[in-house]
Amino acid sequence: MSLRNDTKPWLSGGFGLVILASIPAVLFVGALIFFTVWVVTFSFTDLSLVGAKSVNWSWIGFDNYERLFTRRGFMESLWVTVSFTFFSAIVGQSLLGFLLASVMRALRGPLRGFIEVAIMLGWLLPDIVAAFLWSATTAENGLINSVVLGPLGFDSVNFLNEFAFPVVVVANVWKGTAWSYLLFSAALDSVPRDVIEAAQVDGATWWQRTRRVTLPMIKSHIGTNTLFITIWTFTYFPLVYAMTGGGPGRQTKVLSIFMYEQSFKIGKLGYGSAISVAMLLVVGLLAVFYVRLLKEPE
Amino acid sequence: MSDVLLSGVSKDYGAVNVIPSIDLHIKAGELVVFVGPSGCGKSTLLRMIAGLEHVTRGDISIGGTRVNDVAASSRGIAMVFQSYALYPHMTVYQNMAFGLELARTPKAEIEKQVRDAARILQIEPLLDRRPKALSGGQRQRVAIGRAIVRNPKVFLFDEPLSNLDASLRGQTRVEIAHLHHSLGATMIYVTHDQTEAMTLADRIVVLNKGNIEQVGTPLELYGKPVNTFVAGFIANQPMNMLDVVAENRGGKIVLKLDGGAEIEAETPMAERARTLGIRPEDVVLVDSGKGPLTGTVSVVEHLGENALIHMTLTGGQEFIVKVDGAPDLAIGAEVSVALVPGRAHVFDANGHALREGDTQVA
Ligand SMILES: Nc1ncnc2c1ncn2[C@@H]1O[C@H](COP(=O)(O)OP(=O)(O)O)[C@@H](O)[C@H]1O
Ligand SMILES: [Mg+2]
Repeated sequence: MSLRNDTKPWLSGGFGLVILASIPAVLFVGALIFFTVWVVTFSFTDLSLVGAKSVNWSWIGFDNYERLFTRRGFMESLWVTVSFTFFSAIVGQSLLGFLLASVMRALRGPLRGFIEVAIMLGWLLPDIVAAFLWSATTAENGLINSVVLGPLGFDSVNFLNEFAFPVVVVANVWKGTAWSYLLFSAALDSVPRDVIEAAQVDGATWWQRTRRVTLPMIKSHIGTNTLFITIWTFTYFPLVYAMTGGGPGRQTKVLSIFMYEQSFKIGKLGYGSAISVAMLLVVGLLAVFYVRLLKEPE
Repeated sequence: MSDVLLSGVSKDYGAVNVIPSIDLHIKAGELVVFVGPSGCGKSTLLRMIAGLEHVTRGDISIGGTRVNDVAASSRGIAMVFQSYALYPHMTVYQNMAFGLELARTPKAEIEKQVRDAARILQIEPLLDRRPKALSGGQRQRVAIGRAIVRNPKVFLFDEPLSNLDASLRGQTRVEIAHLHHSLGATMIYVTHDQTEAMTLADRIVVLNKGNIEQVGTPLELYGKPVNTFVAGFIANQPMNMLDVVAENRGGKIVLKLDGGAEIEAETPMAERARTLGIRPEDVVLVDSGKGPLTGTVSVVEHLGENALIHMTLTGGQEFIVKVDGAPDLAIGAEVSVALVPGRAHVFDANGHALREGDTQVA
């Protein structure tokens, strides 16, 4: 009597099938590792996109990494990226997403549906279309100028020129709040109504209930949300690039734009690789930090 | 300790009226149980008293003050929820201290109150634990402790025992009765379990579809249910309900059953009787032909200290008799039933009890 055929028909065929089944996974992981190794490897070379050095590149040690700190560009872009991430994701999307989720719980009927659709639209719209909408709205002859400022007698303002950073921050808040809203809606659903009512009977105001009961109870959701939107926003490219191209000056030149320019406009693939590796390290460190924060103290 | 007065209290959810109009006076220090089937409005009524639900019409007063527009935390009530509703991220101590802390009670005073309550409930060793590290019974005690610490004028319980297993339920029931005696506080207790209602209550309020069917002491409700609903609800075993036709034979009212059986009623009120209600424990088994109701045994359920004998009467009606001990009865045996005098109930066509003195039975 053979147990093999009775209990594990799938595995009983030997390792052949197992290996066959794991090929897609191996390919996927292999590709990830390959690209990472590729980027890390070439960050130590002077590889170019075109010209002689695209073929005859040479090893230059840590030169590219040194340039991150000695040449203009990287540190400025790092700062722009950190501010952009902080204001548009951690503050803007999280806070707005949470507030909307809290308020919408009490709301029923068509108004709620309307607002939810509006929130989702921003999320579902392609980045390029969103960028066009925001540019059209904030341009010198755009919606805000012609509908609000003009009639009130103000001079028209080219927002994308004069307030480039705030405008891309607002645009990204609008674009990305849906994720936080959805996540916090689900999180708030997980808080039993009874517990909030017990706090109400205990005399907690709305603010005290939120800060001392609701927020601690959804702590892990807050951590997850922050982790995700930080990673996404830190490496976000299309919306900002399509709206401002990183300008004016370096005002909105986030790291992804800086990396793109160095790699594909100027053609220094080696330097671009070093920038990518640096971004990877920063995001990785942030992720470790959040995951640590999330771990419940026993 | 305060009284609670409900006058014309009514509740609509949108266009749906779930509580038409309730008038009720709960005396200071009394333990009143709201009992009724699921969905009859018990929780809604309790939550309106607590201040967690808006009162659509009518007034609620606690201790003589109208509280319709007073916040839950200022009504002098404490509530114990069915789910316990403990704060999962706080220790037992913090759970119990939270309300006092919000009220800016001095630390030493908080410590004293929490420790006192913990001692009463024997949960002192648990004070540093989180709720998830407690058993259901322990969580229940913490929830009660959190209520005690608030030192409320009125305790509100919403089905506090229904998440506990049977033995713990019995034990906690006794402890709540104990607590009521030692604290002397007014308590309103909601349950769908008639045993809890019977054992705990000073007075029971039987609710059905948002209306009060009857208010009274447990024994009043058991002995003199005002209608078939209360008669059926306040009972360990459902009351036997037999369709009857009343006939006036020269001043004597005779209740005639299908199958020819006849039972004589003495109150003239019984002339309008349509239903005869007899509790399984209010009859005695006699030899066939020696009692007014006769039938054959269909099932015998042995419960140890007593047994339920299910029989089919000659008219075809099902009838249950409760007898002490373990009777030696074969399925199919023919037996008769004699009624204990003064214990039968008669109801009119609308299910209202007909009572003017007790129904005398021949
Ligand atoms: N928030 C609500 N919205 C609409 N209907 C409700 C709400 N809460 C309760 N009800 C309805 O009110 C009735 C009474 O509910 P409830 O007081 O919870 O009953 P019980 O506690 O006696 O089981 C039920 O029919 C229920 O469906
Ligand atoms: Mg209920």
